[in-house]
Amino acid sequence: MSGARPAWRAAALTALTWVLVLLTTFPLLWMLLTSLKPQTELFALPPTFLPESISFAPYLRLLFDTPFPRYFANSIVLATATTLLVVAIGAIGAHSLLRFSYRGREALATLVLATYLLPSVVLIVPLYLMMVEIGLANRLASLIIAYTSFALPYALWLLRSFMAAIPEEMEAAARVDGASRIGAFVDIILPQALPGIGATALFTFILAWNDYLYALVLVNTDTARPLTTGVVTMFVTTFNVEWSMLMAASVLMSIPPIILFTFFHHQLSRSIGAAGVRS
Amino acid sequence: MAALLRLRPATSPQALARRDALLGLLLIAPTVLILSAVIAYPLATTAYLSLHNVYTPTLATEWAGLSNYRAILSGGTFWHALATTLVWTIGTLALQLLFGVAMALLLNRNIRLRALARSLVLFPYFLATVVAVLVWRWLLNGLFGVVDHALIALGLIDTPVDWLGTMPNAMATTIVIGAWKFFPFVVIAVLARLQTVPAHLYEAARLDGAGSWARFTDITLPHLSGVLGLVALLRMIWDFREFDLIYLLTGGGPLDHTRTLPLVVYQQAFGLNQMGMAAAYAVLMMLLVLAMTIPYLARARGRR
Repeated sequence: MSGARPAWRAAALTALTWVLVLLTTFPLLWMLLTSLKPQTELFALPPTFLPESISFAPYLRLLFDTPFPRYFANSIVLATATTLLVVAIGAIGAHSLLRFSYRGREALATLVLATYLLPSVVLIVPLYLMMVEIGLANRLASLIIAYTSFALPYALWLLRSFMAAIPEEMEAAARVDGASRIGAFVDIILPQALPGIGATALFTFILAWNDYLYALVLVNTDTARPLTTGVVTMFVTTFNVEWSMLMAASVLMSIPPIILFTFFHHQLSRSIGAAGVRS
Repeated sequence: MAALLRLRPATSPQALARRDALLGLLLIAPTVLILSAVIAYPLATTAYLSLHNVYTPTLATEWAGLSNYRAILSGGTFWHALATTLVWTIGTLALQLLFGVAMALLLNRNIRLRALARSLVLFPYFLATVVAVLVWRWLLNGLFGVVDHALIALGLIDTPVDWLGTMPNAMATTIVIGAWKFFPFVVIAVLARLQTVPAHLYEAARLDGAGSWARFTDITLPHLSGVLGLVALLRMIWDFREFDLIYLLTGGGPLDHTRTLPLVVYQQAFGLNQMGMAAAYAVLMMLLVLAMTIPYLARARGRR
């Protein structure tokens, strides 16, 4: 009797958990299923759950008849460049904030953290004016610069918390053996901070890949448009909304974040945990 | 000569320390440079612009003093948008916390395929808002949307619901979709904290005859209070400033019933071509966010 009730309850709670997990992921499953249905099947009443006939036509149309591939390439360039910049600048900056002593260091660290909470819409007007002035509006470079500065504060904070866990003695030992400060940083600190760098890279890439507002304001030409605004443009400019194709675009657009997530999600969970628990 | 050299080493400790500090400053210089150029300078420009009338297409600028602020604070738009922003923020935040904590507690138990369940739940958070909005618009489509059909099949409604075109539906729908998109952040943070609660506390409470609810209120909740406070604060600030989701989902409509402050800033600058007004709205919004940020910074400082 006493053993039966917990077992029954455990099974019920497990079932409840999975029902909620599946409900949460249902919209994304529906996106995938819709993208594989031919356009005519979308109008079946009531809707079919699994596609009656699987069709890759939406994907082919997307890849060969629309500017989607160019948007995709733009987003890849944009997110990769931003990630490289943020990791490079963030790693040396975090090292400086952690292991060097100079006046104003702590104040600087707090100030950097404060910028992370700044609403990005507050900067939209002057940034637009600035990019127009220096001739970077409508170029990918404007977005790379903007996203770098948005991702940098959190990246610094994250890298600092990972680097703080590396024993100071390791660097000291390398110095005794004759390594310069920079040498010790490259040979000792960087390899140890690799999980933190992975988490930072993932976070930055996703931020640059997913942003809509800045892409909307700073870029208004198809040659430099990233995926987010590009796909929305396709959505609002077509007279008959082709939902299969839009869902196919959504699926393709989700693949890079999902790949990165699969590789790095342990670090990412740790880092969000770090933001919530440690900092 | 040799004695002198021994007395005065080539590099004194002070000189070394100074060189060290210089290298430290050199390493932080790129950060300072880019944050000054892309955040500090634009911030100052926002404050400057808010005191001017600026016509977007020509960028013609004239001094306006505090008239932008006067117009904003005496007009109805700001207060309406502020109320809308608060309804959205509080509504979606409450759902995120509730669902996030419940899901974290469920996922902290030993269930089948726990690692898979934990990964799946995080998906909405990592996918682009554009993707989330397109998918939900399709799910809620008036003619062929699967949500309406499911609800009709269950007998809950008779005819399709206008989810985004009328009030209060539009606000409720936006709040729920926002909760769906952002609750995984709460799950991650709470799960990370739950794993550090010592298991022997639960064992001891169980031996003392505490039921599951008592164990939750006496052990779990006190351990979570710290992380929950921080997560709530962060999410509150992020929800308050959210643009992408609301703009893409409703565009602020119907009429201006879901037009939150960030949307007003955008509309003023690029819809109404009033950059000075937009800047003044932005300054007011920033002051509100600043007020929310102070406890967070105080706390971050306290923990270091």
